Amino acid sequence: MPLDSQVSPRRRLVTVLLWLVLVLAAVWQITRTSFVADLSAFLPASPDAQQRVLIEQLQSGTVARTMLIGIDGGTAKQRADASRALAAKMRGSGLFEQVNNGETEAWTDIGKWIVEHRYQLSPAITSQHFTPEGLKAAIGETLSLLGTPLGNAVKPLLDRDPTGETTRIAEGLIPSSAPRSEEGVWSSRSGERAVLVAGTLASGSDLDGMQVAINRVRQEWTEVERAAPGLVLRLSGAPVFGVDSRAQIEREIHWLSAVGTVLVSSLLLVAFASLRALGVALLPVASGVLAGIATVSLVFGSVHGITLGFGTTLIGEAVDYAIYYLIQARGYRGQGGWRAWLQHGWPTVRLGLLTSICGFAALVFSGFPGLAQLGVFSVAGLVGAILATRFLLPVLMPEGSSGTGLRAQLGAFAGWAVRLLPRLRWPLLALGVAAAGVLLVRHELWHAELGSLSPVSKSAMDLDASLRADLSAGDARSLVVVQGPDLQATLQLAEAVVRKLEPLVDAGALAGVDSITRWLPSLATQQARQAALPDAAALQASLAQATAGGPLKAERLAPFVAEVQAAKALPPISIESFNGTALKVIVDAMTLKRADGSWVALLPLQPLGDKLDLPAVQQALQGMAGVQSLEIGAELTRLYARYLREAQTQALLGALAVVVLIGLTLRSWRRLLRVCQPLLLAVVLTMGGLAAFGVQLGILHLVGLLLVVAVGSNYALFFDMLQHGAAQRDTPENAARRGPAENTAPDSETLASLLLANLTMVLSFGLIALSSIPALASIGRVVAPGVLLALVLSAALAPRAVGKAPRKTLPDAGDAPAPQQAA
Amino acid sequence: MITTSAAARTGRHRTLLRCAALLCGGLMVAIAHAAAFDLNTLAALLAQRKSAEAKFTEERFVSGIDGPLRASGTLSFTAPDKFARHTLEPQAESMIVDGNNLVLKRGGRTRQMALDAVPEVTALIEAVRGTFNGNVATLQKHFNTQVEGGADKWTLTLKPRDEKLSRQVRELQITGQGSTLRSVGLWLSGGDRSLMLIEPVGK
Repeated sequence: MPLDSQVSPRRRLVTVLLWLVLVLAAVWQITRTSFVADLSAFLPASPDAQQRVLIEQLQSGTVARTMLIGIDGGTAKQRADASRALAAKMRGSGLFEQVNNGETEAWTDIGKWIVEHRYQLSPAITSQHFTPEGLKAAIGETLSLLGTPLGNAVKPLLDRDPTGETTRIAEGLIPSSAPRSEEGVWSSRSGERAVLVAGTLASGSDLDGMQVAINRVRQEWTEVERAAPGLVLRLSGAPVFGVDSRAQIEREIHWLSAVGTVLVSSLLLVAFASLRALGVALLPVASGVLAGIATVSLVFGSVHGITLGFGTTLIGEAVDYAIYYLIQARGYRGQGGWRAWLQHGWPTVRLGLLTSICGFAALVFSGFPGLAQLGVFSVAGLVGAILATRFLLPVLMPEGSSGTGLRAQLGAFAGWAVRLLPRLRWPLLALGVAAAGVLLVRHELWHAELGSLSPVSKSAMDLDASLRADLSAGDARSLVVVQGPDLQATLQLAEAVVRKLEPLVDAGALAGVDSITRWLPSLATQQARQAALPDAAALQASLAQATAGGPLKAERLAPFVAEVQAAKALPPISIESFNGTALKVIVDAMTLKRADGSWVALLPLQPLGDKLDLPAVQQALQGMAGVQSLEIGAELTRLYARYLREAQTQALLGALAVVVLIGLTLRSWRRLLRVCQPLLLAVVLTMGGLAAFGVQLGILHLVGLLLVVAVGSNYALFFDMLQHGAAQRDTPENAARRGPAENTAPDSETLASLLLANLTMVLSFGLIALSSIPALASIGRVVAPGVLLALVLSAALAPRAVGKAPRKTLPDAGDAPAPQQAA
Repeated sequence: MITTSAAARTGRHRTLLRCAALLCGGLMVAIAHAAAFDLNTLAALLAQRKSAEAKFTEERFVSGIDGPLRASGTLSFTAPDKFARHTLEPQAESMIVDGNNLVLKRGGRTRQMALDAVPEVTALIEAVRGTFNGNVATLQKHFNTQVEGGADKWTLTLKPRDEKLSRQVRELQITGQGSTLRSVGLWLSGGDRSLMLIEPVGK
């Protein structure tokens, strides 16, 4: 009984309505989605202790919130004035937890606070310190400053603090590598740029908050600039990168999807010469993209910009399904249309889908959310596209597309190429061997740097590096991280770390270590210091001995005795006592309270020049539980290396899954081997080509290679199926169309659809190869040549040519029956 | 112009004139040289010295403190920009400046800082270091300078240009003989002062 291509109006209505509901649901989900562009999505989801600290730092720590600002041009005076004006406006905005430009005026209050709490803060306070010998030594140290320029700062405090506790505390707080000071504000070492550092109140993951802060700086700057028009503002740092990256990704996605749609549409018009067919062909694409984004949003809560950019390539893949349907269903016109296609064409398309899904499913299980997003997006997007093709397209175009456009010419060209290509099999194989050779010879083929995932441009990176160099101590790239179950335990541990590292400072392994405990000693330490303070009578007796015969008379030191007594009764400094003071920001920057109530203290290490002996630090701190030292840059590189290894394993597993699936379908080792040959060769040639151009391969190249295997397997399968499934697939019309001489040659329509599908892939991935976002460009540069090679090689190594004399190069070489039977 | 046109008339007259002019010029240069022992001359003199080792004794007079505060130790300088002051008495402490790097050691603690981050300190250090290495540009950047005396005995007076520093330091007076520094006097704005006497050792 002949099949009927009729679709009942009710079925059509239900299908279209259902599709609309799904589309609306996806759109609704997408409108509620937040889009992110920071690198945190590319950090592991289940980190070890060290990585956890790193991620906390990157996501919400000072590094993530630190904005670097430079002011170029004009005179030193103009820059300094602009720096002061801008800093004042920024401090007044309430958007920054701190703005540092080197002005010291803000320190007056802090100085008073230090003097008041000196006997709780000074590391010198022990009972020994107040013996006659201890007092004599300490007073001697203070006297050595008198009569020097520093003496003017010490002298007013002499009667209150003859033992110099304030000086000692202040010494500990001097940064070892502060920026240069020019006209009273920070400048670059060359003195040609004023520099500022600001920490945003918004956390590292709050891009909208960062955007507001950055916009505010730019807005305030326009007013500052009016006073000195020659000045130029330079902004950098993680917040700027995050916000700019997001904007850049948005821009890129807009033009990529626009140009991609136009290109693919043009191609479809060439193929179908029908606007209606074009509209219908784009439906699976739209469905796929919407399904992909909505699913990622549901699973991950937010969508990364790179995932979206990657999504534009789905246009190329999803449109293939539509092309196959529209052309192949047309082939069964009058013989059941879509119903016949469901029987004959659909199984191959479904197999293609399954291989692609196999490839991407490996990514879904990645420990890195960013990579998992790409996997989920691709799987969901492909399923969405295929469902639209399978259910929606038949009710809209039951007999495929009527237009033929230039398809006959495309088919003729493809047929010519398919006959010609087997002649090139040996040159192509030789090329493959050469490429493999390049890969073996090439050193450092894989490049492990997390930055390669970042959309930040080279010039922006350079500006950032120069501002960082200008600011020297402006960022904490190396630090010791101390973790304890509560605040006091953490503070005590931090004190122990400082004690262990002091000898390294003296030995010159590092310039210094900053610790929260300089401002907030542990309760135990504070109480021990207060307990060490002598009573008035004992102190007076010791003082009399210590000053006997010396230049400083004990009589004038009554204020000292009184203040020591008062200090005994001072309430301890608590973390709450910093609330509402200028010191709060410092304390906040150096401590972190976790949700589980545990505390983390960060102790930035100050390098000596640009060198830091981290191994020495690690050795000194060996065996201390809850203490880790890390260098953020090196740690990120290690992280990425792990990430790369994991992705390599996943890519191999994905490729293996593809192969297993093909094997299960074909049920023939020989056919499996033949299908795999062109894929392997395509991968080797693509990698070899990139290596020959000096490109270092990263994770996204790997994702691209996986895509080449997943998509390329479709082509290889097609050529295999063309041979072995020909008898099954033959329809009376197809058979009639073929001449007797080409009874097993692929029909022109199928070849045209294959070529068309390949061209859309090459075009859309070729487009993202031009993207200015390195992550997208990497994928594009692998996939565009890769899939083209996969098609060419599939044709060149097609089994029918293998089956007969391999060296025979006549155009009709493949006309002989294939040696293997269809499964 | 006039001389040339006059000489054009009689060649003999011209030769005579030229001799007189040469003589006059030579004389004037010689006189000027003797009269102006200026900063540049002094700097050229000082710059000949590539390294120096010296002992110092220092007396500081501080209001409210009985008697002078005394200290002694060693100074060393190595061209172009390394300068160290090691105090041995009454307490061991040291200050080492190398390029833009300042290392302070006091009471068993080591502190390290960038010199250009603390301009006031830089100026004072440059006063001594700039004198040791004869760096005129640096001295003039931070101070108004005045030179008295001659090569055999000179006095260099430095007054801070920076307003902030001048609130702390009134002036420095450095004396020397030839390329050797003999004393550094410091007057603080509060009236306190110090005098460091320098005794070269070695070559």
